[in-house]
Amino acid sequence: MPGVAGDVSSKGFWSRFLLPGGVWLLLLFVVPICLVLALSFGYTDDLGRAVYSFGLENYQDAFDPLYIPVLLRSIGFAVATAAFCLLLGYPIAYYIARYGGRRKHILIALLVIPFFVNYLVRTYAWVALLADEGLVNSALKDLGLTETGIQFVNTPYAVVGGLVYGYLVFMILPIYASLERMDGSLIEAGKDLFGTPSRVFMHVTLPQTKQGILAGCVLVFLPAVGDFVSAQLLGGPDTYMVGNLIQDQFFAASNWPFGSALTVVMMLFLSIWMLGYLRSAAREARDPVAAGGV
Amino acid sequence: MEQATVNETQPSPEGGNGEAIRLEGVTKRFGDFTAVDAIDLSIPRGEFFSLLGPSGCGKTTTLRMLAGFEVPSEGRILLEGEPVEDVPPYRRNVNMVFQSYALFGHLDVADNVAFGLKRRKVPKDEIGRRVDEALELVSLGSRAKSRPSELSGGQRQRVALARALVNRPAVLLLDEPLGALDLKLRRQMQVELKQIQREVGITFVYVTHDQEEALSMSDRIAVMSDGRIAQCGAPEEVYEHPNEEFVAGFIGISNMIEGVVEGPGSVKIGTGKRIQAPVPADCDAGDTVQLSVRPEKIAIDEEIEAGMIEMTGRVVSRIYHGVNTQITVELGQGAHLVALEQATYTASADDRWEEGMEVRVGWHPENCLVLR
Repeated sequence: MPGVAGDVSSKGFWSRFLLPGGVWLLLLFVVPICLVLALSFGYTDDLGRAVYSFGLENYQDAFDPLYIPVLLRSIGFAVATAAFCLLLGYPIAYYIARYGGRRKHILIALLVIPFFVNYLVRTYAWVALLADEGLVNSALKDLGLTETGIQFVNTPYAVVGGLVYGYLVFMILPIYASLERMDGSLIEAGKDLFGTPSRVFMHVTLPQTKQGILAGCVLVFLPAVGDFVSAQLLGGPDTYMVGNLIQDQFFAASNWPFGSALTVVMMLFLSIWMLGYLRSAAREARDPVAAGGV
Repeated sequence: MEQATVNETQPSPEGGNGEAIRLEGVTKRFGDFTAVDAIDLSIPRGEFFSLLGPSGCGKTTTLRMLAGFEVPSEGRILLEGEPVEDVPPYRRNVNMVFQSYALFGHLDVADNVAFGLKRRKVPKDEIGRRVDEALELVSLGSRAKSRPSELSGGQRQRVALARALVNRPAVLLLDEPLGALDLKLRRQMQVELKQIQREVGITFVYVTHDQEEALSMSDRIAVMSDGRIAQCGAPEEVYEHPNEEFVAGFIGISNMIEGVVEGPGSVKIGTGKRIQAPVPADCDAGDTVQLSVRPEKIAIDEEIEAGMIEMTGRVVSRIYHGVNTQITVELGQGAHLVALEQATYTASADDRWEEGMEVRVGWHPENCLVLR
């Protein structure tokens, strides 16, 4: 059967170029993950060194009720982050896609450029802004709006704020792409059929961009669950997330086997979400017209 | 919550009494470009009215102003006597069939058709009944639960038609609705559309660039050019009596021979020959005019009858169309005539004239139009 990818000889041709990337992934990605997996069954000896073994203790510890609040908090923060990103990002994507005109590409570039700066560095900038003696508080004091200053850092709001800032663009881009693909005459048809602007948005635009919203939520939610930077820099003991717990096993507590077990549990947990998303996306791909206008 | 409030008007079954649409000096400018230039138009209820013209003539902009997607820069639009220039599309009692159909892919056929009724808060059992009726009208009763993506182009077209008609609008707007269909299906849909229009009695405003389509379906046609209406009338009228060169050239094939008015009833053409022609009263001697003769009005050789204007020329090309043959005759001085010769029960059209043959051509003076 002739395929779109080309004939047999061109498949062989491209296979050769697969080799360097394949080796790279195998050595630097698959092998470390296998090491993490192997280590997760190990233990720490009296000198604090990680020893490979076949114990399940680390997994028992990982499901210790002690960590349930941490896990729930991480999911809660990630859900809040995805929700805020959606509320902030959809109007931005909508405006650029529908009214951006010739400035579309510039506006998208302006959104993406800040993300060339490392996430950690950007979060440090937030610390400088929001600290008790930071720029925002001194401005508020100078204006006489507050005497003692407002505590921003060490609050859940700052952590979720940092996460929203960190991942917003991953919400905007897929929604923008789905709005761009949508046939504009669908909106006109909605209005022509007596839909007020808000009704047309609810009954036409939103369902038509469902895949973009879903992709954006996955792209924001998954990394936000495992994030440790925002909680570490902008949070305190009350905002401790799974990412911080894992990080501490590798650095502060020097318990690599337990850190590895936590990592594996986390990966499996996130993979379930990812699989759910991929199945839904594949369903749309089989019926591409269902996603767009006809 | 915003509410779309629209007064439903039942189309009068006998049709034809009162005015559905009136345009008064309607102008639409986009920046420096004038898309529609001060047009006046009156469309009676129940009429199948076509806006015909080449792309960029302003026909689609006019339709979009009727739908409410564009606001006129100047002028008034009256829908059943009420001014609607500032009424948004969702409060106008008009519906549109889009060129791209614009069906909602996330809804099945029945929900697509029910969309407008739901927005108007029509009772649920009535929605079900009217959707069924509308789908029966377009012979799609069996596909109610299908997704638009599962339908053929012709079926999608019918869904779009049902989705608009189910609302019983005062006026149905159609934007080149058959443009995406193949020729055979298009012919079939032309007949069906016309039948449906007669059946429901709703005023249709039909935008097309296809002159044959407009001639065969319309009660009246407005031929548009450069944002204005060049001529408005019944199909026979715009075809037989085009009032300007653009209309004569756009509708059907027309022979244009340039000439100079010599005096009342006489025009001198490029070959030097004086021709008897119905020169309009407002033409003076010395005016440059175009003589227009329809190809099917031209007789060749033995077909020529007494009283015809006669010329001689040479056949330069012959194109066989099956039912007829298109023959181009060079008259000299760069003047050409195109003649259509019908295949008849006695002769097939291709066996009479060969390229290079000297022929006589002729036409009755009354079949010639003098256009300025």
